[in-house]
Amino acid sequence: MNISHTREGEKLTICLNGRLDTVTAPELESFLMENLEGVTSLVFDLKEMDYTSSAGLRIFLKAQKLMSGRGEMVIENVQEDVMEVFEITGFTDFLTIR
Amino acid sequence: MNKLKKIFSSLSFRIISFILVLLVFFSLVVSVIGLMSFTTAFKKEYSTTSYHMAATACSLVNIDHLDNYLENGIDEEYNQTKAYLDAYCDKMNLSLVYIIKVDESDYGRFVSIFNAVNNGVDNTNYTPWELGHKRDTTNDEYKKKYETLYKGEEEYETVFRTRNLNGQNPHITILVPMKASNGKVVALMCIQRPIGELKAARKPYLVNIALSIILVAILTALITIAYLKKQFVQPMRKVANEATRFAKESSQGEKLGNISRIQEISNLAKSVDKMEEDMLSYMNNLTIATKEKEKIGAELSIASTIQENSIPNNFPAFPERSDFGIYASMTPAKVVGGDFYNFFLIDDDHLAIVIADVSGKGIPAALFMMVTNILISDRTRMGGTPGEILTFVNEGICKHNEADMFVTVWLGIVQLSTGKIVASNAGHDDPAIYHDGGSFELFKNKHGLVIGANANAKYNDYEIDLHPGDKLFLYTDGVTEATNTDKELYGMNRMVNALNECKASSPKEILDFIHSDVDKFVGEAPQFDDLTMVCFELNKKEENKLVVKAKNENLYQVMEFIDEFLEKHDCQMKAQTQIDLSIEEVFVNIANYAYGEGEGDCEIKLGFNDGVVTLQFIDSGMPFDPLAKADPDNTLSAEDRQIGGLGIFLVKKNMDEVSYQYLDNKNILTLTKKIN
Repeated sequence: MNISHTREGEKLTICLNGRLDTVTAPELESFLMENLEGVTSLVFDLKEMDYTSSAGLRIFLKAQKLMSGRGEMVIENVQEDVMEVFEITGFTDFLTIR
Repeated sequence: MNKLKKIFSSLSFRIISFILVLLVFFSLVVSVIGLMSFTTAFKKEYSTTSYHMAATACSLVNIDHLDNYLENGIDEEYNQTKAYLDAYCDKMNLSLVYIIKVDESDYGRFVSIFNAVNNGVDNTNYTPWELGHKRDTTNDEYKKKYETLYKGEEEYETVFRTRNLNGQNPHITILVPMKASNGKVVALMCIQRPIGELKAARKPYLVNIALSIILVAILTALITIAYLKKQFVQPMRKVANEATRFAKESSQGEKLGNISRIQEISNLAKSVDKMEEDMLSYMNNLTIATKEKEKIGAELSIASTIQENSIPNNFPAFPERSDFGIYASMTPAKVVGGDFYNFFLIDDDHLAIVIADVSGKGIPAALFMMVTNILISDRTRMGGTPGEILTFVNEGICKHNEADMFVTVWLGIVQLSTGKIVASNAGHDDPAIYHDGGSFELFKNKHGLVIGANANAKYNDYEIDLHPGDKLFLYTDGVTEATNTDKELYGMNRMVNALNECKASSPKEILDFIHSDVDKFVGEAPQFDDLTMVCFELNKKEENKLVVKAKNENLYQVMEFIDEFLEKHDCQMKAQTQIDLSIEEVFVNIANYAYGEGEGDCEIKLGFNDGVVTLQFIDSGMPFDPLAKADPDNTLSAEDRQIGGLGIFLVKKNMDEVSYQYLDNKNILTLTKKIN
């Protein structure tokens, strides 16, 4: 999986490319830990991400918990298969998906 | 209107009106006969008295001198006689008294000698004829009567004139011959008398008779009505009312008992009493019988459940085995049946299959079936060939077979690794075998005797070789002898043809197809015999097993192995994504938790059959059933969410079936999914 990002002031946009699974999730987790300071607006662009498992869900839940209280978190361009996983697990109820 | 109609149609009205009509007819007849006899008697009496009057008048006349009066004219004696006659006519209330001399040559003329007239009697207007007055005889009736009298054939003659009177009242004329001393008839004495008396006498007679008849009719009618009412109508009404009441209420009423002295009505009442009694007792018996039947029905239904559960009826029966498939179905004709099938693994490599058909149906057959099934399966587990097993079972059954029942059995033991079946047949129908790429054919061999017939019977073994992809189809005669409304049998040929129409299908689909084909053939006709079928398939072997260390770093190796298998079987993209997700969740679970701090292997077995892929994850770690945990609550907010449990939840959602077993110290998780 590739992780690329752009930072505009307090807004951090992260583009994920490939599979977010048990093997790749720790990579994203440590990236977030390192780059989330001072961010009030977090955007995940999932246009190129074609797979997520519960390991990926864990990261999204953690990020959501971190961002609540200090800003907003938005997920954009979710592919169909990934969206289905969000829906089955009820994540669509609390994630802001555009 | 309806009330009137009811009265008109009632029994009493009908009877009374019938009697009245009869009485009226009867009185009419009596009146007419009475009147006729009265008139006849009156006329006879009247003419007799009139004759005596005429005879008396004759004695007033000097008959020997009559001719002298005509020749010499009136004299003293004539005047004297005339005065007597006038007085007589007057006193006796006669209209006319006259004496005539008839011309004896043809009686067509006569001469008047005396003529006394009394117009006051009957309001007549006669003019007295003078002596010698000549006249023609009035008509032929008089002419004839004159002749009779002159010839002395009758003492007197009577002429009744009641019709054609030309204004006169009805009257009677009496003619009497007057004989001179020499015995010769010289003249006729005629007197005319009115018969108004007849009319006058007839009227009170008629009135009397009519009144008395009416009186008698009324009396008779009243008595008859009272009698009928008491003897017929009231008892009949009682019977009718009781019958109506009983029909409405269906309960015991007061007994009618001896309500009439008339035999028929009394019998009817007794019959109604008896009928009520019988009916109530019948209804009572019926209620008891129905209760009893319900109880038996409930017991039968439990018996049916016990029977169903005595044979394997959960499918797939061996989800952990990908090397073979088996499916069976049993449709009893009654609640419980005499057919049965059974199959079980004797060890990892040997599967025993039994199909049997007990003679008869219903409860006796079901009991016999249970005994036979237990004997066969227990003996089979002890080892030996099917022939030995059936020989043993036959001995056991013959010993206690008081009911003379018997059972046909086909028993086969399949060596799963080689596909070799050793079988023995105790009078059962030959199995049908399908060799991959070919078609279903009956596999015939020499049958042994049915079990239960002869304790000394011996059963031989024979062999059938199956190869991967081959199928074995077993059935009872309920299939081949299914009968349609035209009394035609389904038969072996139809069965084999139907089998070949679905030969490439899975065992379950084959049985469903044959079942529906039999149903279609039978149509409206009732099912007479149990319908039992078993289909076994030896699956094609595939290189589909992977053993890796249960570590997260091996995830991609596992996924590649599985994806390759899925692609080979033309898996749809969507299904593949869902399967990938499930593999990751299951494998990561095993890698992270199964062996705790230690290390161990994870074995992955893949199977594919009829569009359905089966994935098995086997580890030797600590026993853990991932399905036992409740699904996570997906309605909680982000703060309250726990991440645990989501993985297995995703697996359950994405796969068609997920099952867990702990066997031989191994956790076995089986996933299945239809992939195309």
